[in-house]
Amino acid sequence: MRTEGVMTEKIAACVEMYGVSKSFGQVRALDAVDFEAAKGEIHALLGENGAGKTTLMNILSGLYRMDEGRIAVEGREVDIHSPQDAIAVGVGMVHQHVELIGNFTALENILLGREGSRWKLDVEARRSSVEELAANYGLSIPLDEGVKTLPAGIQQKVEILKALYHGADILILDEPTTMLTPHEVDGLFTILKSFARGGLTVVFITHKIQEVLDNCDRITVFRGGLKVDTIPREEATRERLVQMMMGERGMPPEGERPTGPSAAREGSPALSVRGVRTSAKWGVPLTDVAFDVPRGLIVGMAGISGNGQKELAEALAGIIEVEAGEVRVDGEEVTGLSVAGRIARGMSLLPQDRIEEGILPGLSLAENFVLGLHPHIFKRRGVFEREAAFELGRNAIAEFNILARNEHVPAAHLSGGNIQKTIVARSVMLAHKTGGKVMIANNPTRGLDVMAASFVHGRLRELRAGGAGVLLISEDLDELCLMSDRIVVIYAGEILGAFDGPEYDIYQIGALMAGQKQEEVS
Amino acid sequence: MSLLFDISLFQLTLLMMAPLIIACLGETIIERSGILNVGIEGVVTLGSVTGFLLTYYSGSAIIGCLVAALSGSVLTLLLAYFSITLRANQIVIGLGIFVLGLGISPTIYRLAVGVVQSIPQVPTLKEIPIPLLGAIPFIGEIFFRQNGLVYMSYFLVAAVSFFLFKTPLGLRLRACGENPRAADTVGIDVARMRYGACAVGGLFLGVAGAYLPLVISGSFTDNIVNGRGWLALMLVIFGRWIPVWSFVGALLFAYVDAFQFKVNALPQFAKIIPPQFLLMLPYVFAMIVLVQVARGAESPRALTRPYDREARD
Repeated sequence: MRTEGVMTEKIAACVEMYGVSKSFGQVRALDAVDFEAAKGEIHALLGENGAGKTTLMNILSGLYRMDEGRIAVEGREVDIHSPQDAIAVGVGMVHQHVELIGNFTALENILLGREGSRWKLDVEARRSSVEELAANYGLSIPLDEGVKTLPAGIQQKVEILKALYHGADILILDEPTTMLTPHEVDGLFTILKSFARGGLTVVFITHKIQEVLDNCDRITVFRGGLKVDTIPREEATRERLVQMMMGERGMPPEGERPTGPSAAREGSPALSVRGVRTSAKWGVPLTDVAFDVPRGLIVGMAGISGNGQKELAEALAGIIEVEAGEVRVDGEEVTGLSVAGRIARGMSLLPQDRIEEGILPGLSLAENFVLGLHPHIFKRRGVFEREAAFELGRNAIAEFNILARNEHVPAAHLSGGNIQKTIVARSVMLAHKTGGKVMIANNPTRGLDVMAASFVHGRLRELRAGGAGVLLISEDLDELCLMSDRIVVIYAGEILGAFDGPEYDIYQIGALMAGQKQEEVS
Repeated sequence: MSLLFDISLFQLTLLMMAPLIIACLGETIIERSGILNVGIEGVVTLGSVTGFLLTYYSGSAIIGCLVAALSGSVLTLLLAYFSITLRANQIVIGLGIFVLGLGISPTIYRLAVGVVQSIPQVPTLKEIPIPLLGAIPFIGEIFFRQNGLVYMSYFLVAAVSFFLFKTPLGLRLRACGENPRAADTVGIDVARMRYGACAVGGLFLGVAGAYLPLVISGSFTDNIVNGRGWLALMLVIFGRWIPVWSFVGALLFAYVDAFQFKVNALPQFAKIIPPQFLLMLPYVFAMIVLVQVARGAESPRALTRPYDREARD
């Protein structure tokens, strides 16, 4: 139990962490990091993927044990060995992928672990106190819905309310905006600002500089497991933050901006989709999906995760069957063809889940490269020509700048960014061999650091410049605006609208992502 | 038709149902916490040998049942240790437990009894008609003229349902089976919950084992369980991890089992239908029903997945 009287002169520093270090096996994730956050502020932790910001907060919330270091809350040193200890000192964390139980109602999720009774579960008895808390903090939530049916933005509110119900006065949010539409992001920060005014400490983890500049009181920047510095908002500029985040490397050169649909090449579109429907047994059913990807354009597909993007990518690639409609590649109908048939006609796919669907983790890099390319590199059918495979692997490692000792390393030993490079390399090589008419990239940069993402973007732009059509499916609206000549919006398996680039109004797109029809928006 | 709707057939159905549902409830508790115990057949077999021997030597069926329960719990905790603390593959360990239980039980029996001329026997449990309820025609005669363990199985269905869905502990247990990290982040000790589920679920499995010699056969034979453990495992899926539905499934299956038992005893059928065919009937029935019912059944999300707090994804 915390006592009220202790926080007198130490009021500024609500949480202090000193000399925190943490290693995972050989990898030093945090190296003697100091951090402090004050009562009533919104404190941003800024850094690239893998910079250590989430690791630090997982230590504070009791999920990870630090190897070295000390933690003090409101001036008193505390031992945090488990989430239970963290809750006891008032730390609550909202994780990037919300940690809720899909089959429970929102109310059950909130009460879990603090049910308020010992023997008889009485959800109703606690309802009023949860409702009161929700009203106090301006969080409106349907308490009786099963959590898995709720949209991501609401799930996040459930998680925030859960943390508050468990007595959090230090609220940590890990990348809270990745799954939200621009409107929802604004709403979230309005709520967080009112929390801070009410005396809560809000720490939020992000890699988006603009969010930091718009919403934070202080900013701590991480790079490669080290803390770079903590600066107040007034001293922060975009350039300075970039410099702190990236260090000597600087930002990758910004690629060529999209030019808009006028750049489309003549002739039939690279990919043409008409009236495609799929059955609900494959996930989100698609209803009458129709759009074109002209040659020489990147068409972005915006939408909140789980609105049919995965199903669409798989239907286009021929992995799941369509019930109605047609898919054409360069004017030629491919609707009834197998995956291999579509690849042979110039379609390639960058799958969404790189570990599950993209690679053979136990096999060598060379063998991973061969996959799908085998008809093109082996001279004799049905024979695995080792030398040809090794050569392919060596060339790919050099050409695509993949960090690996050699082509014999198992793919699973690479970092996430290098695994993604491997998959991109394979798809791009395949595209070259098959004439590369259309590339379907499903969230190709998710979880990558800026450098690796820039590499992927560069390769997609190359394909575009070579006259291929690229369908870029992404949950990151900033990425889509940066890359796309046109953006179409998918919601609940339906295409709700299309916007021509190169300039976009993200609020209009966001409204469609949230399910409003285009007429209602204008 | 009277063959299908005979009161004694229904009474036999309830008698056959009890061990299935008791084992099934134990497995439900274990699986709801996120542990899949495919060694259930082995655990039940161990329960039947310890239950039989202790009843035989002590003369008390109650002591037999208690020791059987404990032995079931101990063997299930072995599974728990490997799958929770050592994070081993639960299927592999479960199959190991299955083989271990099946092998060690006859060994214990032979060590205790030795080679004998006449097989040791215990008196089977008597039916205890419940006053008033047992006097209700038909329904009462079927449900309330049974042995004590059958009554216990009714009680356990209600008790486990209440525990899972109406107590804070039940909510926490289900949380561990659905999303252990979510449970952990609100301060629930996932490992402790899972160990607890295995310990308690194991008690049920042991009692289910003891039931077979104490009620059905009166003696122990190597093959006494005869797939009932596996059936209980299937009934968990049949009931979609909800005790009341598993109870319905156990009744259905026990009915077919009792039917084949009755028919096999009738001489006029023995000439027409080979007894092996009738013996097969319950299992064929189970397969057909399960193929239909199990389609789309949603297991606890974290079933078979070990939990490691510091795992990075």
